[in-house]
Amino acid sequence: MNPLKSIWNFLSSTYHRLGSPREFYTISQYTTPVFGFLFLALSLFGTYFGLFVAPADYQQGDSFRILFVHVPVAWMSLFVYVVMATAGAIGLIWRMKMAFVVTICSAPIGAAFTALALLTGSIWGKPIWGTYWVWDARLTSELILLFLYFGIMAVYYAFEERKTAEKATALLAVVGVVIVPIIHYSVEWWSSLHQGPTVFVEGGPKMPPEMLLPLAFMAVGFMFFYGYALFLSMQAKVLDNERKSRWVKEIVSDKTR
Amino acid sequence: MKNTLVLYFQREWQLMFRNTSSMIQPLVFFIIIALLFPFSLPAEGALLQKIGGGVIWVSAVLATMLSLESMFHSDYQDGTLEQMLIHPRSLPLAMLGKALAHWTSTGLVLTAFSPILCITFNIPNEQIWVLFSGLMLGTPSLSLIGAIGAALTVTLRRGGVLIAIVILPLYIPILIFGAGMLSQSAQGLEVASQLYALAAILMLSLTLTPFAIAGALRVTIN
Repeated sequence: MNPLKSIWNFLSSTYHRLGSPREFYTISQYTTPVFGFLFLALSLFGTYFGLFVAPADYQQGDSFRILFVHVPVAWMSLFVYVVMATAGAIGLIWRMKMAFVVTICSAPIGAAFTALALLTGSIWGKPIWGTYWVWDARLTSELILLFLYFGIMAVYYAFEERKTAEKATALLAVVGVVIVPIIHYSVEWWSSLHQGPTVFVEGGPKMPPEMLLPLAFMAVGFMFFYGYALFLSMQAKVLDNERKSRWVKEIVSDKTR
Repeated sequence: MKNTLVLYFQREWQLMFRNTSSMIQPLVFFIIIALLFPFSLPAEGALLQKIGGGVIWVSAVLATMLSLESMFHSDYQDGTLEQMLIHPRSLPLAMLGKALAHWTSTGLVLTAFSPILCITFNIPNEQIWVLFSGLMLGTPSLSLIGAIGAALTVTLRRGGVLIAIVILPLYIPILIFGAGMLSQSAQGLEVASQLYALAAILMLSLTLTPFAIAGALRVTIN
C-alpha cells in the first residue's frame, strides 16, 4: 500500500476520532503526558542554554536573556488566539462539539500568555528603555489582546445555556481576529520604541545561532506547554460537558472506587 | 417590494421620531462626558486645547456604547426580532439598515455637534475640520461594530457591562487613528494616512459586520 496514503488515512481518522468527546478523552490520556514531558525537556534545555551558554548581548549585557521567555510567550499569545479563532470558525461552520471546547479552553491560556508577555516585557523595558511602560503601538495592541481574551471569557460565562454560550464565544473570537494582524504589524506601521522583527525577516534571522537555538527550543517547548495545558483543561471540560453520559459515569466511578 | 435596507432604515427612523428622547439622550450624554473634563482638570487653556480632541473622541465612543444596549432591546421584547429572523428577507441587509439608522441618531448627531464642543475647548479652526472629518468616518464603524456586541448580548438581562467589555477592545484601533489624527495635525503634519485608515475600517465594517450581526442574532435567539 502507498505509505503516503496510509499516513493520510491515519491522520484523517485521528482527526475524526478527535471530534468525538469520548475518543478525545481516550487519545488525550496518552498524548497529554507526552506533551508535558516534551515541554519540560525542551524548556529546561533552552533555559540552560539561554542562561549559561548563549553570549551576553554587546549592548544590553545579560539583561537581554529575558528574551528567551518574553519572545516565545509573546508569539504564543498570538498563536493561541489564531488557534482559538480557527477552532471557533470550525465549530460554527461544521458544528463540531470539540472545536468549541478548544476555543473555550484556549481563552484563559492565551490570556495568561498575553499577561506574561506584558509582564516580562515591562521587566525588560525598565533597564533598557528606562521605563516599565510606554503607550506605544505594540504594547497597547498587546494590552487590547488581553482585554479581548477577557471579553471572550466573559461572554462564555454570561450565558446560562451552554450551546448558546459556546456559539457566542466562537463568534466573538472570530470577529476579534482583526486584532491579530494589527499587533503583528504594529511595529512596522507605527514608529515604536519596541524593536522590529528580528527572527522572521528577509535574508534570515539577525541573531547569532547561539542565541537562536535556545530561542527555538523555548518557542517549541512553549508550544508543547500550550498543548499540555489545553488538553488537561479540555479533559476536565469534556467530563463536565458530558457528565450525563454513561462513559463519563463509568470513568468517574472507576476513579473514585 | 421595497429594498430591505431602505425598508429597515425607514422603520427605525419612524420609531425614532415617535420617541425623540432616544435621539436626544446620546447627545446629552456626549456633551456631559466631554464637559466633565474641564471641571476635573486644571483650567488651563493650553492643556484643554491639547486634550480636547481626545476627550471628544472618548465621549463619542462612550455615548455610542451607551446607546447600543437599546438597539435590539425593544424589538426583542415585543417579538419583532424573531419575526425578522424567520422572514425570508436578507437578515444582514436588514441589520445594515438598522445599524445605519442607529448611526444617524447617535454618531451623526454627535459629529454635527462636535464643532461647538471644539470651540469650548479652544481648538483652532483647522483642527475642528480634522476632528469633524475623523468623526464622520469613524462613528459609523462604531455603530456597526457595536451592533455585533448588542446582538450577542440582547438576550441577557444585564448586557450593558458585557457590551462594554466585548466592544471597547474592538473600538481602540478606531480611537487610535481618530485621536492620533489630531495630535498629528497639531504638529503641522499630514493626516491623510489616518483618514485613509479610518475609511478602510469603515469599508470593512460596512461589508463584513452585517453578517456578523446576523450571525450573532441567530446564535443568541433560538
